[in-house]
Amino acid sequence: MATTGTVRPKVPIKQPHSLSPRVKWLRDYFFEGVRRPWNNEFQCFTTGTAWDVVYDEVTYYIVPETYAFLQPFRASALQAARPVPLPADFWGLTLPERRAWFIREVMVSQVPQEILPGDLVAGGRFNILASRCWKRDEVKGRDKELLGSRGTRAAVKEFHDRGFGNAGATSGHLIPDYASVLTKGWRGIHQELQARLDGMERRDRDGPKGAQVRAMMTAATMPRDLATRYAEVCRQAAGRESDQARQQELHQMAANLDRVPWEPANTFWEAIQAVWLSHMLVLSDENYPGAGVSFGRMDQYLLPFWQRSIAEGMPREFGKEVLRCFWVHCNTVYDAMIQVGGNQGITAGFGQLITLSGIGADGCDATNDLTWAFLEVVDEMTPILEPKPNVRLHRGSPEALLDKVVDMVAGSQGAPFLLNFDERSMAGMMREADRAGVQDRINAGNVWDYASVGCLENTMVGNDRSGTVDVNLNLLKAVELALTGGWDLVPAVDPVMGATYPRRQVGADTGDATRFETFEAFFGAYETQTRQMIRQAVELYERSESVRARFCPTPYVSCLVRGCADKALDVTQGGAELSFVTIEGVTFATTVDSLLAVKHLVFDEQRCTMGELTQALRDNWVGHQKLQAFAQHRSPKYGRDDDAADAMALRVMELWAEETWHHRTRSTGRQFRPGMLSWNYWAGDGFVMAASPDGRPKGKFLSNAICPTDGADTKGPTANTNSVGKALGGKAPGGNGDWGEWLNLLPNGASHTITFNPSMLRDPEHQAKFKAFLRGYVENGGTALQMNVLDPDVLREAQSHPADYRHLLVRVTGYNAYFTSIGRELQDEIIARESHRGV
Amino acid sequence: MTGRVLNIQRMSTEDGPGIRTTVFLKGCPLRCTWCHNPESMSAAAQVVVREERCIKCGSCLEVCPLECDTSVCKACGLCVDDCPTAARELLGCDWEVGNLVREVAKDRAYFKTSGGGVTISGGEPSMQAGFTGAFLARCRDEGLHTALDTCGACGPDVLTSLAGMTRLVLFDLKLFDTTRHREYTGQGNERILENLATLAAWMDGQQAPPSLWVRTPLVPGATADDTNIRDIGRFLADSVGTRLEKWELCAFNNLCREQYRRLGRTWEFATEPLMRREDLLHLQETAAASGVDPTIIRVTGASRLEE
Repeated sequence: MATTGTVRPKVPIKQPHSLSPRVKWLRDYFFEGVRRPWNNEFQCFTTGTAWDVVYDEVTYYIVPETYAFLQPFRASALQAARPVPLPADFWGLTLPERRAWFIREVMVSQVPQEILPGDLVAGGRFNILASRCWKRDEVKGRDKELLGSRGTRAAVKEFHDRGFGNAGATSGHLIPDYASVLTKGWRGIHQELQARLDGMERRDRDGPKGAQVRAMMTAATMPRDLATRYAEVCRQAAGRESDQARQQELHQMAANLDRVPWEPANTFWEAIQAVWLSHMLVLSDENYPGAGVSFGRMDQYLLPFWQRSIAEGMPREFGKEVLRCFWVHCNTVYDAMIQVGGNQGITAGFGQLITLSGIGADGCDATNDLTWAFLEVVDEMTPILEPKPNVRLHRGSPEALLDKVVDMVAGSQGAPFLLNFDERSMAGMMREADRAGVQDRINAGNVWDYASVGCLENTMVGNDRSGTVDVNLNLLKAVELALTGGWDLVPAVDPVMGATYPRRQVGADTGDATRFETFEAFFGAYETQTRQMIRQAVELYERSESVRARFCPTPYVSCLVRGCADKALDVTQGGAELSFVTIEGVTFATTVDSLLAVKHLVFDEQRCTMGELTQALRDNWVGHQKLQAFAQHRSPKYGRDDDAADAMALRVMELWAEETWHHRTRSTGRQFRPGMLSWNYWAGDGFVMAASPDGRPKGKFLSNAICPTDGADTKGPTANTNSVGKALGGKAPGGNGDWGEWLNLLPNGASHTITFNPSMLRDPEHQAKFKAFLRGYVENGGTALQMNVLDPDVLREAQSHPADYRHLLVRVTGYNAYFTSIGRELQDEIIARESHRGV
Repeated sequence: MTGRVLNIQRMSTEDGPGIRTTVFLKGCPLRCTWCHNPESMSAAAQVVVREERCIKCGSCLEVCPLECDTSVCKACGLCVDDCPTAARELLGCDWEVGNLVREVAKDRAYFKTSGGGVTISGGEPSMQAGFTGAFLARCRDEGLHTALDTCGACGPDVLTSLAGMTRLVLFDLKLFDTTRHREYTGQGNERILENLATLAAWMDGQQAPPSLWVRTPLVPGATADDTNIRDIGRFLADSVGTRLEKWELCAFNNLCREQYRRLGRTWEFATEPLMRREDLLHLQETAAASGVDPTIIRVTGASRLEE
């Protein structure tokens, strides 16, 4: 009987369940945060030179909140750094060799190794800020590029402060080749590097290529040496242990570490141990705590180990126990800045993504027993932020999987996973192969093996660095520049110094917009501005990409990305077989709605002239209330399955996506590609960007990723979904799309969030309908969907009593965040977004 | 051909099987005091105001030929066109059949995955029988599953002719006692009961008759009592028999109270709370003992939060 709904349901907040005392202790211990005696806070290490740098600011150019702190971070990290004794020939080595040696020395000999009580996986501290190992002239050369009024730092800042967005060469955001570590071990990787070196012409061996491979070989021994240390720690702990069962576990952990990750893994326990150590060292090598370093299709490449161990008598529950320990380890990334800010530095997911289920090699569904084990662990551990699961759905997804997915969604607030949709995603990857000419690397024979990094960014696995968050462009700026002929609509201000930037032409000269006689003329100007803006973003990105390529090798990561060894080229220099830079289009719906508003208000309905509209925007709509209302409430909007409005969305999408394919990085030859992920920029940049023709005043949030603007999707979730699918290209009329009949203009994928009222999932009948909605999403929707199942009353209550709702997770844009920690404005925005109950 | 449409509700989960798009038409012969769709009663277009949206800009006054005298308003829509905030809303838009079919077909993918389709409701669709028939026929040609949601207060031929064009009939049966039916809906129920029996008999003669669901709103103080539910159940058992595929008892809620306010009407149920779970269960038991196959009885809607 279906009578569980209420007018004011107080949704019980999702709690972890079925945890063993061991895992419960570890999980609770993690959440003790700053009160913990043990943590994984950044430790800083220096070569001891006066000019040393241990903090690489370039990695944070895409985080505008940090701009004011770049210099203080640089100074304080160095102050906190402990000197590491160097070998006599250190400064005679090349930069990649110095760095490889230094990171290994720090991780093996400087950072303490510990095992937490009951833990089944070794590998504790890994967050480090280590010397970049530069010589004085290297620091000088790099500083010349970055600092000063003409430096990259100032250019990035101005780009942001003028409302264009941001760009910077960022770490993480890839899926390392962990599968190779499991099958050939680091020994195998090391041997291949040796063979590569031995096969080199002498000239190459003595040059940068030889240096790169030697550096990678040094890096390849780091996991071995660290495992040796941890094995010793386990044995010592076993010696002190009185509990016999625990003693045995510690001995087995030591035995595991004697083998892996140097040798190939035999058992499931060894496999998880090998993946974890290899993974945490990626974070150490990049000095970057985990953002977007993702695990790929774990339920696929770990399956042989799982099956073997089960066959050899491992209880299924013990396999899950190892996974739960792995879960806790993934969360220790947040310790990096544990003493900074509220909530112990935990605000939002860092995005160590696990991909589950999806299409397999034979075109059939690849769900297996390990998929189920993972989902069970997700359910038992939730709410928790890391690792972040992404469940791949497709036409052939089994009913049982969808049942489990819907069941888990119904029982949580921010769904404990993202959903990725294979057909639309694969269509994007196939388009990418075609546009970039990499059909040998991505084709019908392997595209099913794609996986997501970070939030929902689709890439291939183990050979692909697609720089998925490196350039974030506010598409809306082109509308502003089309209105002004290439000038900022309102004076741009540097929020740190309070100074106003000099007025200058920042876009293309597209002429006086008041003279446009048709909307097409205006759209022509918008098109010119869009193309120019993308070129500017590409140029700006080049400045940090080239600096990183020259000064910031990551030889360890390069070992885990196929292509780097073959080319003897670091991953930061374009060594990966697949090397893209993604431009993430931000403010999409606000842009589309603004163009629709210009067309509607100025040309179709003639409610105002172009001059009047522009003046209203300069005045931030103050004194133009009536016109603003027409823009907000009477102009067509994207997101309602209105074919005319959605045609504008597609036109905007085709234009900017096409332009990205025309560009590559000069220094590293990486191809630009389009995507839509807005991280938190749509919130913050709403305070930077001028008022927009869709009726939005300055200071109000922009639209999020590919979602309609808030409140615009008045026709419910199916209409919203249909609009998103159409904006990506929809389906090919003849059935001949990029993949099957699906088209997809955004290979990176697009973040789509829908908030559902809990009543949509209140009983089995409604859950069945929700399941059908997800199957409909496969047909008509986008690449990725995240769901909140929230009652606005519960959120308001959480606002009033934050202490009672500390663990309430909500989905923001590809990541989960603790509702009570995200700031009042974003909270209000999420409450406003709660919709789909009819208007 | 055009029909007067009040609203199109996408992803409707309460009007038949699966995910549906429900088209609410304007105009109803009944005046149920609990009606949850009061804007659909009048067949005429109406202008309503969402006061919370109004910014008092005066655009409506400027454009209205009748100086916004609501007593003589013809719902010409001029003020609606010029209202910047969409505070003024025109209830009742005329849709051409083909356009309406194209509109509802947009969710075909979800109909297919859910076993859903299109529901035409009201108001009372038989009041626009020609349009409803044409719409149902066009939907059928498009391969869309259709449901006709009717109060049964129409001519028997109209009913069977529309039933012949749909896959499912949702037939509302509210009160068994005709005096009380008149009291609460403005009409006796003789014709409605007769129509239901006629429909069942007609179905017997059809090769592929539509499915038949009967729906009874559970309104506290009006319909939600043992006698009424038992009497309806007995009638269904006797006069409809095995032709009945489902009997839904739909729990009352007062979420439509804003609509009454906007129409300038007071509503006696405005503060009526949700029913208690135990009362719903009790009525379900009564229905199950009435002679109707208990396995086809279903209670839908929300119950009160138990403190």
